[in-house]
Amino acid sequence: MLRLNAKTIFRWSFSLLAMVLLAPPSVPAADIGNCLLCHKYPGLSRIDEDGRLRLLFINEATMNSSVHARVKCEDCHTDIKKIPHDPAKKVDCLTQCHIVEPTSEQKFSHKEVARFLSKSVHGLKDRDQKPKKHPEDLPSCKDCHDNPLYRPLSIFKQKVHPGISKAALGRCRVCHKKDEFIYRFYNHVTTRLHKIRSPKNIAEICARCHDDAQLAARHGLSTKAVYSYGETFHGKAALFLDERVPDCLDCHVNPGRSVHQMLSYKDSNAITNENNKGLICANMDCHPGASPKLAEYRVHPEFDLERNPYQFYAQVFFLGMTGSVLLPIMGLLFLDLLRRMFPNASLRRRK
Amino acid sequence: MATQPLIKIKDGKKYFYRFSAIQRAQHITIASSVIVLALTGMPLKFPDAPWAPSLYALFGGIKMAPIIHKTAGTILFLLFVFHLFYIARSIYTDLVVPLRRKNQLSAVAVLKGILTHPIMPSFRDVRDFAAYLKYLLFLSDKPPEGAKFTWKEKFDYWAPFWGIVVMVGSGFIMWHKELVTRYVSGEIINFALIAHSDEALLATLFLFIWHFYNVHFSTSVFPMGTVFITGYLPEHLMVEEHYDYYRQVMKEAGLEDEILPPPGSRREPVAAEMPAAAPSAASRESLVGGEEA
Repeated sequence: MLRLNAKTIFRWSFSLLAMVLLAPPSVPAADIGNCLLCHKYPGLSRIDEDGRLRLLFINEATMNSSVHARVKCEDCHTDIKKIPHDPAKKVDCLTQCHIVEPTSEQKFSHKEVARFLSKSVHGLKDRDQKPKKHPEDLPSCKDCHDNPLYRPLSIFKQKVHPGISKAALGRCRVCHKKDEFIYRFYNHVTTRLHKIRSPKNIAEICARCHDDAQLAARHGLSTKAVYSYGETFHGKAALFLDERVPDCLDCHVNPGRSVHQMLSYKDSNAITNENNKGLICANMDCHPGASPKLAEYRVHPEFDLERNPYQFYAQVFFLGMTGSVLLPIMGLLFLDLLRRMFPNASLRRRK
Repeated sequence: MATQPLIKIKDGKKYFYRFSAIQRAQHITIASSVIVLALTGMPLKFPDAPWAPSLYALFGGIKMAPIIHKTAGTILFLLFVFHLFYIARSIYTDLVVPLRRKNQLSAVAVLKGILTHPIMPSFRDVRDFAAYLKYLLFLSDKPPEGAKFTWKEKFDYWAPFWGIVVMVGSGFIMWHKELVTRYVSGEIINFALIAHSDEALLATLFLFIWHFYNVHFSTSVFPMGTVFITGYLPEHLMVEEHYDYYRQVMKEAGLEDEILPPPGSRREPVAAEMPAAAPSAASRESLVGGEEA
């Protein structure tokens, strides 16, 4: 029998208060399968068969700000049919989900993206349709993509800054009545008006493979492609979160094409092909009117005698000059300080 | 020629004229522009360094810092152009005009005048450097008795000539890459970046180690020499660094009996060793200014 004394009341009150304060603040709204009933708890996790800790918490606010916010959990996790469920299989991004693409009125899937990818430089087959070596190295959806968040843009009086324009929303509300739809549509469209990732973020993703020396060697690629990009002004500015500088995709993807359609520089249609690369820098958004010679700039210079002999010697010259100036003067300063400590000491005396 | 007295006496201490107001203004301009260039350029040279983002943010980050850098670079370039005109004007007024008055004007005479100017490197610098090295290595107790401009000062003066040409040239190529690559291959930008970046590091370290040691951290001047502000060098530094020139100025001012012994010496004043004709009262007045203690 429960005895209600002061100590018990205090303990219960404290426990209730703690539950209220520690419970996630959001309430599942669009979660039709009621998955957040369990997955709303930040500590929800398990150790999988491989001994790895798997965090199973879903932050509803973050999910609602992502491009997949309207996709129901079970649209991707198709093997989950009951609650509580068995360990879920990995999500197949080519699964047809229940979102309807408005222009075709077909259910949406990423199959078209996969088709693009299969014909790109990252596809599993080469230009002669022969299987490439080391297919395990080639990227699939989740090697590059997570669940990206919307990055809405406010455009007002020619001024662009991150966020949602209230003035624009006011115009949307004239015809559209549901704010949820307005926000979602606004987010979708304005996020697509620019890049969903910063140049730094994109370079980091490419670096996962292209700065892996062993992987690059297996595929005959130049090593440390992203590292060398980081040695240029573009790469350095990207590190300082400048979003105006080009990232890997801006130069390696043909204009008007998706990143999933990237071609090898050996392909005569590729923008990076020797015959076409003059157009890369001179586009309207970068260096309008620039000569094709500008693209002869080596974006991936490496300190390598065989690949860049002249640049190698130029760098050696300046390094040599720096050392030959600084080391002697530092020696002189040391000796000067020492001499000042013993001003009257000398092996020879003035006559 | 400077209108300032060569020696100023204040509170009983002698100060020796070194730099005119226009020279000091040029020094302050180059110093401030180079400091700004270093502070806004080094974060790009070392973007991964932990201090780089904070330092860059101090100058407005990636949107503002490059603008400040280019502005400081333009100021440095304009100063360089001004200095070239200043040199040309000095050659004309201090060399060409006197030669013309003497009816001795010729290209050879002008060239000779330029090559023997106190700021030009000379064999004496090699001799003084060797003497300095011997002194540092305790092989001599006699430091070199420096001329008007020592080998250190000539190094400080001529090194930026090379540095500014490299930095401004490479900076221009990177800034106006669209214009430059109309005529030459874009690969020149790679070389410009190497030159700009590595020369900047060399110049910055040279200035902040060598120059700052000589004008700030050396025990003779710590915490700071004031000649770059006042234009006048205190007597003890004049003796330490420019003893030959000091003796010459003191003689010209008729102050032989007050000449201090050479650096590293414990002897009495050396007036007796250096007889010189005393200047007239009028010339002494023009050489010595300020209050005599």
